[in-house]
Amino acid sequence: MATVTDKIFSEFKEHSVAEFFKKNQQMLGFSGKTRSLTTVVHEYITNSLDACEEAGILPEVSVTIEELDKDSGRYRIIAEDNGPGIPEKHIGKALGQMLAGTKFHRYAQQRGQQGIGAAGCTMYAQITTGKPIKVVSRYDRKKISCEISIDLKSNTPKIMNLSKEEGDFGSGLRVEAEIADAKYDKSSFGAYEYVRRTALANPHLQITLNAPDGEKAVFPRSSTKIPEKPVVVQPHPLGITTNDLIDFAHREREFIRISSFLQERFARVSPAKVDELRSLVPDLDFNKKPSELQWHEAEKLVKAIHSPSIKWIAPSTDSVKPIGKEQIEKSLQNILAPQFVVVAERSPKIFKGGIPFMVEAAIAYGGGAGKKAGDASSSEIIRYANRAPLLFDNSGCAITEAVKSIDWKRYGLKNFDEEPISVFVNISSVYVPYTSAGKQAISNEEEIVQEIKNAVMEAARELQRYLSGINREKERHERKKAILRYVQQLSKDLPDLAGKGKPEEVEKKLVHLIETKYSSHIENAEEEEPLQKEGQEEEEDIEE
Amino acid sequence: MMGIFMAGKTKEADVIKKLEELGQKMLSQIDAESSPTFTTALRSKGNIIYDEGVGYIRLGGKTEERKFVNVGQARKFMQTVAIAAKCKKFLKEGAHTSIRGLFYQLKFSLGDNLDEELFSEQSESNPLVEDLEVALGVKREDLNLNTDRKGVVAGPLVLKDKFGGGEDIIDCTKQGRSGWMIPSDVDNGMEFLEVGADYVLVVEKDAMWQRLNEDKFWKKENCILITPKGQASRGCRRLIRKLASRKLPVYVFTDCDAWGWYIYWAIKTGSMNLAYLGSDIATPEARFVGVTMSDIKDYDFLGQLTINAKEVDIKRAEEMLSYDWIQHHKDWVEELKTVLKTKKKLEQDALQGPRLSFVGDYLREKIAKKKFLA
Repeated sequence: MATVTDKIFSEFKEHSVAEFFKKNQQMLGFSGKTRSLTTVVHEYITNSLDACEEAGILPEVSVTIEELDKDSGRYRIIAEDNGPGIPEKHIGKALGQMLAGTKFHRYAQQRGQQGIGAAGCTMYAQITTGKPIKVVSRYDRKKISCEISIDLKSNTPKIMNLSKEEGDFGSGLRVEAEIADAKYDKSSFGAYEYVRRTALANPHLQITLNAPDGEKAVFPRSSTKIPEKPVVVQPHPLGITTNDLIDFAHREREFIRISSFLQERFARVSPAKVDELRSLVPDLDFNKKPSELQWHEAEKLVKAIHSPSIKWIAPSTDSVKPIGKEQIEKSLQNILAPQFVVVAERSPKIFKGGIPFMVEAAIAYGGGAGKKAGDASSSEIIRYANRAPLLFDNSGCAITEAVKSIDWKRYGLKNFDEEPISVFVNISSVYVPYTSAGKQAISNEEEIVQEIKNAVMEAARELQRYLSGINREKERHERKKAILRYVQQLSKDLPDLAGKGKPEEVEKKLVHLIETKYSSHIENAEEEEPLQKEGQEEEEDIEE
Repeated sequence: MMGIFMAGKTKEADVIKKLEELGQKMLSQIDAESSPTFTTALRSKGNIIYDEGVGYIRLGGKTEERKFVNVGQARKFMQTVAIAAKCKKFLKEGAHTSIRGLFYQLKFSLGDNLDEELFSEQSESNPLVEDLEVALGVKREDLNLNTDRKGVVAGPLVLKDKFGGGEDIIDCTKQGRSGWMIPSDVDNGMEFLEVGADYVLVVEKDAMWQRLNEDKFWKKENCILITPKGQASRGCRRLIRKLASRKLPVYVFTDCDAWGWYIYWAIKTGSMNLAYLGSDIATPEARFVGVTMSDIKDYDFLGQLTINAKEVDIKRAEEMLSYDWIQHHKDWVEELKTVLKTKKKLEQDALQGPRLSFVGDYLREKIAKKKFLA
């Protein structure tokens, strides 16, 4: 266990931006009371899941939210997992330093991508309540407890009240943060919904939420299959922005020329491709140090990368790790208990000329699917990017746009908004194109919107088959019932008329006959037509 | 067997046998694990034809299979079988009832757990009686179902009426001022003993019949005098048919208006509703003796006695003129055109204008001169 843990955290690198993010909290998701609380829960759960996946552990997470003071919106959030824990030497960087995370400098498909997450929560706790976070980390026969805050000026962690114990404590991390200016509610933006949706997209996760209203929500796991470890891949040039390029270049220590930096740090960049770029950006010196790359030069380079004259080899789709059809199905069954569930699994596709992504779409119908308000149901669109729920910025998201653009009437839903339906969409990609740093919506790339639409429609076709099957079955049952009600009388009259036979026997045979004809597994080629209307055009007054 | 009715008397035993065979066929279908069925002629408009060759309205060849195991037909099928079983019982008991009586016999709940009656409206049972008549090739009278009696007879006709265990001889010359009322069934248990008349005169209105009866017109003319009292009932039409089959000419005397024409054509060609009875109730040999608009030429006083035609009369005249077959009846075309031109009509009562018994003279003269519309 120790080696795995060490390996993860050896990738830490330093960055100093704490001051910047203090002033721009909204970029980290700290805007609005409900959202701030949800963001804290999101960051801790995401970290737990990513760490467990890396370490090959079946995650078991518990989140406790206590309301301390309603007026100031003060809450205590305790997140506890059974993950690998964080070794003492990394604990400060992991939780007390902005942009020091494991994820920032890697390209792999993971839930969090900016590496700001948990440290951002520490900062938020600090600036709203002045309190450090409390951490207990268990790993490698050790248990360390401490308090952590951030020195915002220098973006360095401050570790206080550190204590250590030796012994068999297993592994896991417990983080306790006290924040203010927050709010817990059960709205579709709230922490409860976040936990529920996380459980839906992570069938291997067992998660418990102890809510401040006293509710204990347990979402049991439906699968013991741990997702494959994310593959670390080099960024593909087509997925890079000017900002990324500057960032990478300025951090480069190993390669001393821009040409070798491009060739070695990016996927699918051959010497020939560098030459092509060179001819497209003649005024850039490809032999100078990457750290000397200027913004306007980086801009030109990115423009050249997207030039249609360069034919890039698409990046490997190996990096795309979907949840899996079976897993999604199990999970939806487990948590929504719907009447019907269907998952559309599609092959990876490409957007922006070279970035692989994959859409998984599922539809759950009836039962616990959809939003409930009393007896009334309404539809819900459950959005994910790399299994992480997207709760905010609903209307600006490619998933919402795609789902809303579908003509649901064609699939047997008269009024989509009022159906008991949950439409589940997960987009997996190393480069999920978010609309903003808040990472709550996927930008409306045409290829992505179209692929989401295709995936959802594929699932909808199955739903339609199911619905028409229900209708057929219902109709068959109605027909059977309509005929059966007359059997008794007919069975009584027929022997009278024929002068032979016994009512009970006739009844038994007739019931058998009708049951057979209207049993669901026998399709009847013979269509029934309604009885012909009798011609009664001319009334005569003598028939009484 | 469809559409071909058992001529004349149908022995009750034969009808019972037909009913039992119908039931037995259904039972063997059930034994063969298929839905019980019966076949009946389609009685909808598309299968009703006016057969110019024979001169009456009859059903075409389209048949329809009724199935029990069919959600659209199950209830009616069960009801039809219930009617059939009930009729068999009537026949065995030698009891008769009306279709209304039948309806009440079958108006009961299908079961405590079913909020449904076997029949809840008579309008449901009436067409099923017809289905059964057609399916079995019998008339409802053969199933001991009576219709209301309507129509009165006077004249040289003697019948034997076996009924209710008794037997009566009816002499229609000895029925006084009221005449003999035509029963609904003139076939079963009813036998013509003497038919001594030269022709049959059918008079639309009861009042006119009473006039002619008082004048002993039937005695003077040696005819059978019948009034259907408006539209002719099944029994009345059947009686006329039977008399015509004895080679007696049939003359019909009605008002010159829509209703009168309808009464005449229903006697002559049958009607849409009773198309399934076809030849049993139609008398294509019947002739229209009057009153006609062209009578005004021969009887000046009638010119003063016309009244304004009603809208329904005009419409009916126009409608009749639009029929293809009417073109074969030139006299009628003339008559109808006159009505449309003058927008007048004539009632048979007008012939009492000069004196009460003038109507007798009129009829004698018209019949003698064969001034008919054919």
